[in-house]
Amino acid sequence: MIAVIGAGPAGLAAAMTVAQNNEQVVVIDSAPRPGGQYWRHLRKVEGYKSGRSDKYFRALEESKKIIYIRGAQIWSAVQSENAITLNYLAAGIESSITVAKVILATGAHDRALPFTGWERPGVMTPGAAQALLKGHNVIAGQKILITGTGPFLLPVAVGLAAAGAQVAGIIEAHSPLRWLRSPVALLLNPQKSIELIYYIRKIYQYKLKVSFNRAVIAYDGRAASIATVDTELRIKETVSKIDCDVIAAGWGFTPDVTLGGILGCQQVVDRDGTVIFAVDRDQRSSATNIWIAGEATGIGGADLALVEGRIAALSALGLAIPARLRLARYRLQKFATALQVSYPVGNGWQGWIALESKICRCEEVSLGEICASVSELSANDARTSKLFTRAGMGMCQGRICSRNVSEIIAKQTQCEVTEQERIGYSNRPISAPISLGALANGIK
Amino acid sequence: MKNPDAIVIGAGILGACSALSLTNAGFKVLIIDRGTVASGTTGAGEGNILVSDKDPGPELTLALRSRDLWFELQEDVGDSFELEAKGGVVVARSDDSQLLALARSQSAHGVVTEKLDSKRLHELEPYLHPELSSGVFYPQDAQCQPMLAAARIIQSVIARGGQLVTRSKVLGFKTENDAMSSVLTSTGEYSAPIVINAAGTWAGEIASLAGSHLPVAPRRGFILVTEPAPQYIFHKVYDSEYVVNVASSDADLQTSTVVEGTRSGTILIGASRERVGFDSTMNYEIVRKLAAQATSLFPILRDVQLLRVYRGFRPYAPDHLPLIGEDYRVKGLWHSAGHEGAGIGLAPGSAALITDTILGRPSFMDPAAFSPKRFAEVLQ
Repeated sequence: MIAVIGAGPAGLAAAMTVAQNNEQVVVIDSAPRPGGQYWRHLRKVEGYKSGRSDKYFRALEESKKIIYIRGAQIWSAVQSENAITLNYLAAGIESSITVAKVILATGAHDRALPFTGWERPGVMTPGAAQALLKGHNVIAGQKILITGTGPFLLPVAVGLAAAGAQVAGIIEAHSPLRWLRSPVALLLNPQKSIELIYYIRKIYQYKLKVSFNRAVIAYDGRAASIATVDTELRIKETVSKIDCDVIAAGWGFTPDVTLGGILGCQQVVDRDGTVIFAVDRDQRSSATNIWIAGEATGIGGADLALVEGRIAALSALGLAIPARLRLARYRLQKFATALQVSYPVGNGWQGWIALESKICRCEEVSLGEICASVSELSANDARTSKLFTRAGMGMCQGRICSRNVSEIIAKQTQCEVTEQERIGYSNRPISAPISLGALANGIK
Repeated sequence: MKNPDAIVIGAGILGACSALSLTNAGFKVLIIDRGTVASGTTGAGEGNILVSDKDPGPELTLALRSRDLWFELQEDVGDSFELEAKGGVVVARSDDSQLLALARSQSAHGVVTEKLDSKRLHELEPYLHPELSSGVFYPQDAQCQPMLAAARIIQSVIARGGQLVTRSKVLGFKTENDAMSSVLTSTGEYSAPIVINAAGTWAGEIASLAGSHLPVAPRRGFILVTEPAPQYIFHKVYDSEYVVNVASSDADLQTSTVVEGTRSGTILIGASRERVGFDSTMNYEIVRKLAAQATSLFPILRDVQLLRVYRGFRPYAPDHLPLIGEDYRVKGLWHSAGHEGAGIGLAPGSAALITDTILGRPSFMDPAAFSPKRFAEVLQ
């Protein structure tokens, strides 16, 4: 049997492909509903092609070939000679399943950058604002300011506006003119231009204010301070204040590579500094019988994830991969590269934060404490600084702050963050918390 | 630094303590490390400063003196590494005769012990399993945050004229007539007549580079770290099997329970011991075993979430005694390594022994039992 981990676009496409070829597949997903981060609809949410998930959701419910395990957190996995055992928790009970092949489609979460006041209530990621809306039918606040960089800000803003939220503006850090650097990617992906036109029309329809080359650099609980920034995100000057009670700030995405890391799949650092898996042209990882699709092989969005999911499934089934799928992936990968070129996240954000601002919110470690671990305690890499300050040691295990801490230390010590360090902070031996009682019950 | 009086290899706790001890004796000290401060075994431990797990003998003498030196160190460098005399509670799981016999012999050698009946045991640790009924309290057992301790001590060394060079890997040594003259590293050549090898689990490699031999091997251990929890555990609590396992030479996996809370609210659970080289592969069966043992002592921990597991390699010598003293071949090369799981606790005493021996002044004990020369005949 094949196991697909994750029920986002990549996982759903993989599972449906396996099922359509009359093979048994088990889908294990951590959320109570399918769709992953991007497709978590409770009801139809306004957005480009937002109905295209329906057929996948239906297959999940109706196909006899798909076993769907929802709300299950895989906390560990072990590969033996011909099988892979996945240990997961569902409703506090531990179970395990042993399969012949695994397709990992573990997705990504928003990258958050600290700014002065980001610890305040109301500051969240666009993904969180979207999850509240799509998953729980909740509008995050009275006046929502959307900021960060990348086209993902648009569907979040439009979805919120369509649901009746007051959107205080979209503050994009880069200029859309940067797309002119990637003419080939645009020509290869005409449907992306159609999608963009769809969102531009929606922006007019809902009278959303969009500004470019700006970022939210501080929040006092009532108003966000907006500054113009250069391409490295360094502040040029503070220009205005915008009243809001929610700031949804997103700076690209961080792939979730934990489980593949536990299974020994080889990782590399992408050009945007994210740690991703190295896969071959059939989405095969370096580990035997493990394929990987979607954001964990490079941030590229739902369209690319769907194609990769299908390729991974066909390869896992030992079937031929049609040339048109490979071509589609090629086009979309070009577009993904153009995204990285158009919306880079430079290091200038380090100039937004006050010394007392918390960098690690779980353990409440401030920028000042991290700097002191370098200047006073001779820490010269992030691991050591984290041991001294406890940054990244809390509930989220550094999923939010690790990269930021490493980049702060690198700047303090005038080094670059090494590839080894990036891979180090992206991995952990336990991929989800598990109670000691459940662990004890699982003794062989 | 031009012409240091001594070079310390290793910025872990043993290197830090040696460097400070020599600095306080008037030496100009250079510390080098191939990584950074506390990047080896010091950064992978719980910070144990224990007298309770040692049989009467030279190691206990060293442990008792070291324990006092830790509190003197705190005076010297400041209260900045979470040193705490929290006390140890050793619990007998069934038959308590072995534990009580050990406690009796320890107390004859200066260890403060208190035999605990069921009532007193549960007063000290109210969340212990109600059926546990006997134990021994060791009020001298203490704990520190070892990474911070190493960093703060090194900070003092630097403030007193010493220097730290990180990311400096030892490539070889220059000797003249079998006497130390300089250390060749990836960051250059440093000359000094005295070199302290405090490279922990990797001390054997350093000795080999000097043309000598030091039988230090890794003994792997896992530690579980939970989410922050309310204070359920008030001392360092372990079962009496721990003492047996510490002293064992078995290569196979052994696990015994050590449970303790930390200032940040997380609970640390150890301890496994196995000799598998530097293999850092995760072993979830060991994780389960440790969890089962901890929850059998403290049932309330069943609902606490495990967040993290870390692995470390204890520097292990064949007879379980540390290697402290001058090399049997190279004059001026001193070793302070092989302290296994007790390096934090034994560090200040080990440093004092070396400094006293170098200066030719009397020390608090005869260091002969720890001399690396004890393996010289076997090896040659």
